[in-house]
Amino acid sequence: MDWLNLLVIPIIRSVVIIVVLLTGFAYLTWYERKLLARFHVRYGPNRAGPKGLLQPIADAVKAVFKEEIIPGHVDKVVYLLAPALALAPALLIWAVIPLGKDFPAVADVPIGFLWILAIAGVESYGVILAGWSSNNNYSLLGALRSSAQMISYEIPLGLFLVSILLLAGDFSLVNLVEAPRAWWEWLWLWIMFPLFFICILAETNRSPFDLPETENELVAGFQTEYGGIKFALFFMAEYISMITTSAIMATLFFGGYALPFGIGSDILPILGPFILAGKVIVLLFLFIWVRASLGRPRYDQLMGFAWRTLLPISLGYMIITALLTVFFK
Amino acid sequence: MSEATAVATAPVATDPSLPFSQEVPGAVIGEWAADSDKALFVAPDKLLPLLTHLRDREGYDFLSSVTCVDYSAYKGKARAGISERFDVVYHIYSTRQGGGPVRLHVRVPESETVPSATSVYPGANLQEREVWDLYGVKFEGHPNLRRVLTWEGFHGHPLRKDWKEAYFEEEAKPFKSRHPEGGYKWHEDKLPWGDNNTYPQNWDPDSWSEPVTYVPVSQAPSDHHAYGELDTQSIVVNLGPHHPSTHGVFRMLTRIEGETILALEPEMGYLHRNHEKIGERNAWLMNMPFTDRLDYINSMSNNLGYALAVEKLLGIEVPERAQYIRVIMAELTRVINHTWSIGFILNDLGALQTPALYAIEEREMILDLFEEISGARLMCNYMRFGGVVRDLTPGWEERAKYLVHDRLPRALDQLDDLLSGNEIVKARGRGVGYLSAQDLIALSVSGPMIRAAGLAYDIRKAEPYCIYDRFDFDIPTLPESDIYARYYIRLLEARESIKILKQALRDIPPGEVNAYASATLNQGFGTIMGGKGGYNFRPKEGEAYARIEAPKGELGYYVVSDNKANAYRYHVRSPSYINLNALGPMSVGYKVADAVVILGAIDIVLGEVDR
Repeated sequence: MDWLNLLVIPIIRSVVIIVVLLTGFAYLTWYERKLLARFHVRYGPNRAGPKGLLQPIADAVKAVFKEEIIPGHVDKVVYLLAPALALAPALLIWAVIPLGKDFPAVADVPIGFLWILAIAGVESYGVILAGWSSNNNYSLLGALRSSAQMISYEIPLGLFLVSILLLAGDFSLVNLVEAPRAWWEWLWLWIMFPLFFICILAETNRSPFDLPETENELVAGFQTEYGGIKFALFFMAEYISMITTSAIMATLFFGGYALPFGIGSDILPILGPFILAGKVIVLLFLFIWVRASLGRPRYDQLMGFAWRTLLPISLGYMIITALLTVFFK
Repeated sequence: MSEATAVATAPVATDPSLPFSQEVPGAVIGEWAADSDKALFVAPDKLLPLLTHLRDREGYDFLSSVTCVDYSAYKGKARAGISERFDVVYHIYSTRQGGGPVRLHVRVPESETVPSATSVYPGANLQEREVWDLYGVKFEGHPNLRRVLTWEGFHGHPLRKDWKEAYFEEEAKPFKSRHPEGGYKWHEDKLPWGDNNTYPQNWDPDSWSEPVTYVPVSQAPSDHHAYGELDTQSIVVNLGPHHPSTHGVFRMLTRIEGETILALEPEMGYLHRNHEKIGERNAWLMNMPFTDRLDYINSMSNNLGYALAVEKLLGIEVPERAQYIRVIMAELTRVINHTWSIGFILNDLGALQTPALYAIEEREMILDLFEEISGARLMCNYMRFGGVVRDLTPGWEERAKYLVHDRLPRALDQLDDLLSGNEIVKARGRGVGYLSAQDLIALSVSGPMIRAAGLAYDIRKAEPYCIYDRFDFDIPTLPESDIYARYYIRLLEARESIKILKQALRDIPPGEVNAYASATLNQGFGTIMGGKGGYNFRPKEGEAYARIEAPKGELGYYVVSDNKANAYRYHVRSPSYINLNALGPMSVGYKVADAVVILGAIDIVLGEVDR
């Protein structure tokens, strides 16, 4: 029955995860709009269904049934490919994220860390190609910003990941969650969490680092020429990236599917995905909170921050982590 | 309130007793003796030497208003000795000495040109373009004399008295076909020439393209930012007219190199409805609600400026209580405007609406107050010539006091706490959009922008109107002249407004609220203002210019009367429009993202820009 283990079960799992993620995306938009409304001292969506809970469905129907417009001046193949290319990596990362004890999403590959880094590197292609193929000055500027920004922030992000890796001593994410950590290890990790979170904000193009789409300057940046479901795909990519990165952060920093102090993990392994989901929701709140509160730095300031501040800090952090690992573990 | 100004008699030949006859011989060819302003007639060919003299030797550094009057249909033309068709009027003030203006009249026939003042006062740029656009008076030596408010293919010059708009009915309201019965037909059906749209000869809409050379953008140096051997190319990006951050339908044509702006040219007029032409059709009072529509955030100050101009023309006094009410309304409006503008500067910085919504929370309460006394929240139409339309309602003052003493200071403190120390606001605002105070003044910029550049020039102090000289308040200034300073100065000014409001609400006396309602003058407008009575009054022949410190800058109204029930000339010197002179110079060298915030910090309202 090898083919069953190799093919059928992973496919079922993938489909389930994709469905859960897409639903999660839909309700993340609701969550965000409700929260933003509260930050703005207003109500938010409250017409479609109780508490506006049917709003995402209404939005989806609208996006799907909108007329498909492909502007005449675009590079058609790339233009159509770009939204898919933006969405796919956000979903692919989920393959390695552990959802429960001995229960990886799709596979417990021994190179989970490298997978995350590799896929995250592909993510910027969707944005770049969208901007390039749109043949529009706003889109081009958005794409240029995006490529520079994502590449710049991947470096400190990668260095931070390497530091975590050094501390864990293992490429597998499941082992990372399972292995016990000393209190100083947790502390050392959490010190770095704010910076890591900043890198993640830049990676997911979220406010205040949403410079590729900056509605104030570039109208909608790389997605200016997109409408209907193609636009919705970009939207989806951004929001699923948020969920994905939140799951990664929960796994790396907050024990993933496990409760603190090992409570209940042996008794109810089925709780794992729900505990993870809870942590993801809390982290998503952070994304939205930041979006509601902060202005946007200018593009050159953003780049300056990556190269002049984050890069030295992440290098220093990695060196110290290496020393700690060698001498204390 | 000065006396109504009579139209001067014919200018006499050069006379050694005329002002500036020693310094600039032959420039001044006549004097308007019956006027409280220094009003001079100037020979067109000597205009530039005189302007240079005024600016450099006399300290008149601020060219407030350039406009034009078409005297071809003026009733008292022969009486006033006006032989030329156009009268280009300049109002020049001194920011150092304060006080009234020097008013220059350059009278030219239709065939002649006027030298452009842009070489002396760069701020004449947009206003001369407007005069060219609407009157067809050519300015010799103007760097970029294109149409500005109407579109490039427009036929004719709409403010000329012989120009008729589409669906033209009559010269003046109330239209006889609709008054007094009110019944009306589709007037275009009755007109033999249809809808009266005219086009240039041989005009073909399909083949027509804009005959435009956007001079600053098309001639920007393309190798400005060559990086060593690398030859980079600049691109033209059109920010607008439909763009989220242009605050309306407004276009910034930019040439950018990477993200750096090499040249920027504002393009406006998308909302142009020829406010001034409509204003000349309207009866005097009908313009009062029409001014609401200029800067729709500050309808009260718009009312005030217009009321002051017409009162100057009529020479009527405003009762004490009405003076206080006017000041209270104007200052409440200033608070609204400044919190609004702070919120939207932050919005332009990318702070997704949260600061804006916090900032306008108190605005709603002020609008409630407005609604209670005027019946409208935005389009208040509250002021009248000689006072205000009706008294405050019972309990209004208490509510206003609660707001002024309790809510507003707290709201401002909250904004200050949340925003002023924010690192991103500082990083984005500090040192961005710098222009020196001298440059700003030369560009005719007024309002919070020049005070954020360290120049304590505020008309409420420099040439007090209403009763502003009775209140104890300061003119806050900041030296930096960057976006952050323009943000912060508004906060400080709103605090000063609250100071004035506290005093005004404390001192407001009981009494009448308008001149025509008092016991001796109870026959309505007509009794005190001449004419048939009621609201249909006829001011004496003459002209008047009144300016106020509107929240956005100097708001001026220039009105000319020829003793009819309608204004002969009604001109608005709108601060939003003229402050846009500085947009290009302020943005060049900064990033695209900065240009958006620089525009936001000028604080424009397109209803007032395009008129």
